[in-house]
Amino acid sequence: MITHEVAPEAQCIPRFPVLALLHPREKTRLFILWLGLGVAGGMGVMRLFVLPSWSVTALVLGLLLVPALQKWRSDAHRWGHTVMVLSVLLAAQAFHSLEHAVQMFQYHVLHWPPFASSGLISAANAEWVHFLWNWGVVAVVGYLAWNGMRNVWAWLLLGWALAHAAEHSYMLVRYLGLAHELQQLGFPQISAQGLPGVLGRDGWLARSTTTQGTFICRLPGLTTASRIDVHFWWNTGEIVALLLAAHTFLRSHLSQLHAHSAQAH
Amino acid sequence: MRGIGARLRLLLRLVGLLTLCIGQSSCMTTLPKIAPVHKATRRTPTMPAAVTVQQRVLSTPTPACTGTFVAHDLDHSTVVAGETVQMFEGNGTGVAINDLDDDGDLDLVLANRHGANTIFWNEGRLQFRPDRFGRGATRAINVVDVDGDNHLDLVFTRGNSGPNYWRNTGMKQDNERWEQTILDGVAKPAYSMAWDDTDGDGDLDLVAGSYDAELLNVGGNNFLFGDGAGVYAYENRGDHWAGTRLAQKSQALALALFDVNADGHRDLLAGNDFATPDQTWARRGGAWIEAAPFSQISHSPMSYDWGDIDNNGSFELFATDMKPYTFNLQTLAQWRPMMEKMWHPTPFGDPQIMENTLQISQNDGTFRNEAYSRGIDATGWSWSGKFGDLDNDGFLDLYVVNGMIEAELFAYLPNQELVEQNQALRNDGSGRFVPVPQWKLGSERSGRGMSMADLDSDGDLDIVVNNIRGAAQLFENRLCGGTSIELDLRWPQSKNTRAIGATLILDTDAGRFSRDVRAGSGYLSGDPARVHFGIPAHATISHLDIHWPDGAVTSLDKLSPHVLITVTRT
Repeated sequence: MITHEVAPEAQCIPRFPVLALLHPREKTRLFILWLGLGVAGGMGVMRLFVLPSWSVTALVLGLLLVPALQKWRSDAHRWGHTVMVLSVLLAAQAFHSLEHAVQMFQYHVLHWPPFASSGLISAANAEWVHFLWNWGVVAVVGYLAWNGMRNVWAWLLLGWALAHAAEHSYMLVRYLGLAHELQQLGFPQISAQGLPGVLGRDGWLARSTTTQGTFICRLPGLTTASRIDVHFWWNTGEIVALLLAAHTFLRSHLSQLHAHSAQAH
Repeated sequence: MRGIGARLRLLLRLVGLLTLCIGQSSCMTTLPKIAPVHKATRRTPTMPAAVTVQQRVLSTPTPACTGTFVAHDLDHSTVVAGETVQMFEGNGTGVAINDLDDDGDLDLVLANRHGANTIFWNEGRLQFRPDRFGRGATRAINVVDVDGDNHLDLVFTRGNSGPNYWRNTGMKQDNERWEQTILDGVAKPAYSMAWDDTDGDGDLDLVAGSYDAELLNVGGNNFLFGDGAGVYAYENRGDHWAGTRLAQKSQALALALFDVNADGHRDLLAGNDFATPDQTWARRGGAWIEAAPFSQISHSPMSYDWGDIDNNGSFELFATDMKPYTFNLQTLAQWRPMMEKMWHPTPFGDPQIMENTLQISQNDGTFRNEAYSRGIDATGWSWSGKFGDLDNDGFLDLYVVNGMIEAELFAYLPNQELVEQNQALRNDGSGRFVPVPQWKLGSERSGRGMSMADLDSDGDLDIVVNNIRGAAQLFENRLCGGTSIELDLRWPQSKNTRAIGATLILDTDAGRFSRDVRAGSGYLSGDPARVHFGIPAHATISHLDIHWPDGAVTSLDKLSPHVLITVTRT
């Protein structure tokens, strides 16, 4: 499976290869510069043109994409395409986890209602963003497994991601249904976001007629936590599994690269 | 010591013998005799209370049980001025149940907005004679013996002025029975009210709360720059009432006198609408001390009720709020525009949540809201919510009436109405609740006031609902199984003639059931002084303890089921 030309730096196997992979290395200054410019410019543009806050996030992400693409090209050159894809997934999922941490802050600290606690970018459309995002994660994890990231953590990650994506599919269907109902009532502008999913407080499992009065309605967290908490934990589980899968994979993958490189020399 | 003990025993025997003789002579049937036992063994203090006991066998349910409730329309509808329901007119009015003419049957009083109030005189077998009464423009109704003359009086709140007091003269003719008079000293606008002997001097005192949003809407600047209203505790001084202002402002849709800290004194809760936090005052040393016993409370409590839902001897407190009971998309779409309009930022640490709450006392004296885990957090746009053992299985069930009509808020819905089904929830025996649509209590009329009582004297609780823009309803209980005991307490020597505030504890081999005597609960509604105990079919009754408001205790043994017992303190 490993067919790429490998740079000499790959011969050294770091103790925590995930950290090494996520480090912007020579692009660090560029990252900081673009981040600063993006936040300052975005805030200015938002005030000037009265844009929603998620547009600032979109602008910052767009600007950061420039050094990120350069960094990932460098990853591909050093460690191959599979590791580069893993690097992209790790960075993106880290940002996504940050998004959920912000939602937790909005909900638990700022006491915003659930439908308003939609994070940094998801305010654009939390349901579509999360639906596409989670199926995207499933696809990428599937690709990584196909290309060698096969360990117990990777399979756990794949199962977890599939379940998470399924929950978001249910929520998207509900969202579209509610949006349709609101349109029928003459309120196309009112957000249909923020409905509970399968799990959590007021979710399908808690409110189903078949579970009424049973212990299932009282399962701590599973049928009692708010949607925001539930999805924070979905993503926390996902990133933990991803980190463990990536660590295990990278250690073994880089060893193989090292051996291959030594053999070639 | 032995001598004193022997004399005490002799004295007790004599008192017991005396009361037995009185009880026997006044028994209306040949039921087994009930033996009052004056002892102070089950609870700490206590002085024994001599009583006479009368009992009447309850009637056999006819027709036979069907496992459902049967709805009957009453000739009364809460109506508003104009074609549409504007602003707070949609809040509707209350209903009260009590034996107004002392004939043994419980009568109904339904308040109204733009039409007359109605008294329904109970003529037995669920036949009622309507009697239009007053001009309406009322909110809450409680039926209590205000002046302690043994006749039950009517007190209506009006929202934008002081209460209306109709004194019962005891005359038999309808036109002579009622005398409109004043509660001297009670003049501030009152929306909700609660009655109890709060100062322990033997007569009934009043607590009244205003609904400032409506006062502002009606009075405008006059209210805004005036003295306002708020929550007042009025102490009954015999010839006048002395008011203490507890809160300068209030949105008190609900008031409750409930013993929060289990010290034997009923504390005061004001359930405020909108973002105004609810308030609690503990009764301590003859004064009202503001307290904050709850870590989580309902955002807009429309009503309070309390009951021992798990039969552990302590009462749980229930508050209704607004949360859809179904999560189907059509219902959620009806709620969403209104919720978005009403949403406002909440301050850090705000304990208010927009759902029903059930406060359960913890071992450390704190309370925990367990409405969600017990399945009663969401009952729609809920108004009156009350506990009652509807199926006579020994466990308190819950009924909540709901719905909302308002021209502006629900302009996008047909008839500007959020149509919902009233929610009946059965206690499964563990203090948790499951919906029971099969009981057929899911009326879609817009219910506001609601009260429960055995109106046909057949041993089960029937329900009366005062609907807005629709006929009031009486739900006749035809559920099967179980039996019951009902009790009327009389205390003629006291000014608190119906023993409001008394607690009754019935011991059976199926559990210990606790009830109390109260003037009102739920939304703007009055409760009968008659107490109902549902009892599982095969349970054996051990005894009943009556803890009178002054601390005296009466214990009754040899009780039979399916009877109405009148206990008169001598």
